[in-house]
Amino acid sequence: MYTLTEDERDVLQELMNVAYGNATAVVADMLDAFASLSIPKISIIQTEQLLETFDTLKSTSYFFSTQAFSGEFNGESAFFINKESAENLAKHLELESPEDIDDAILELTNVLTSSLTTKLAEEMDTAVSFSLPSISQIPLAEMHDVVTFKHYSQVIVIDTDLNFKDQQINGKIFILTKDESIQWLKTKLNTILELLI
Amino acid sequence: MKYLVVDDSKLARLSLIKSLKSHVGESEIFQATNGLEAVATMDKEKVDIVFLDLTMPEMDGYEALPKLLASNPKAKVIVVSADVQKQAQKKVIALGAQIHVQKPINIEKMHDILEII
Ligand SMILES: [Mg+2]
Repeated sequence: MYTLTEDERDVLQELMNVAYGNATAVVADMLDAFASLSIPKISIIQTEQLLETFDTLKSTSYFFSTQAFSGEFNGESAFFINKESAENLAKHLELESPEDIDDAILELTNVLTSSLTTKLAEEMDTAVSFSLPSISQIPLAEMHDVVTFKHYSQVIVIDTDLNFKDQQINGKIFILTKDESIQWLKTKLNTILELLI
Repeated sequence: MKYLVVDDSKLARLSLIKSLKSHVGESEIFQATNGLEAVATMDKEKVDIVFLDLTMPEMDGYEALPKLLASNPKAKVIVVSADVQKQAQKKVIALGAQIHVQKPINIEKMHDILEII
């Protein structure tokens, strides 16, 4: 089980802040809406603990989309949005059919997670390549059976909402990753800080 | 010339100060980790140039900006933010910032900023 030191957390939080700001601007452009940015709270938790945090989001079902990325730093970035937000997104984009809603969330995820991860990788002086994103709609009761979660031991939780207030669209983003990548990340975060001191 | 670097992140402050020092040498550079501290420093030191982050705890950049200018109307405020949405840029300019620049600030970007203001 990995934990972050105070310095590592500060560096990762700031890198995420920049990457997230960038990604949000792209999505805001796409939706022609304004997102309020909050300070991302960063933590590394065990994948099983992530499932517990879902209970607090309270909805009957969720759209969950993921996009795998590979490189020195690898894993899967995930975007999580509840049914109500998905419906508001559909309304905002004037979509009606379920396929169109799926398609819109998939595109949103694609843009959000790829620009987030690209920027983060760039800041850490590495490169990642992406797989196609995939989407599933999961009832709350089945959350524990999601296969993706079983592949990863650790989750970097970026506890910030994608928050388009006027449209009432909120989502959560997190990065699922493995021990080797966390170790790589910790080394990198320390190098970044050492170069400045 | 007095400078004030306002950011809740140590990384952001250190990297900005490093870029700043490469252009202005050993000037008086103050630091603050949120808007409240920034306004207190401004009241006391009347700094000339402020580098201001937007998302910070206690008091964010939007709230601090008019207070900093009220304390020292001659100060020039450069907003340095991860929020690159056009609306965020418009908002800070309307509040009196000189420019809005995207994080992070490397040496070349700092050069351009100091040229402009
Ligand atoms: Mg900040």
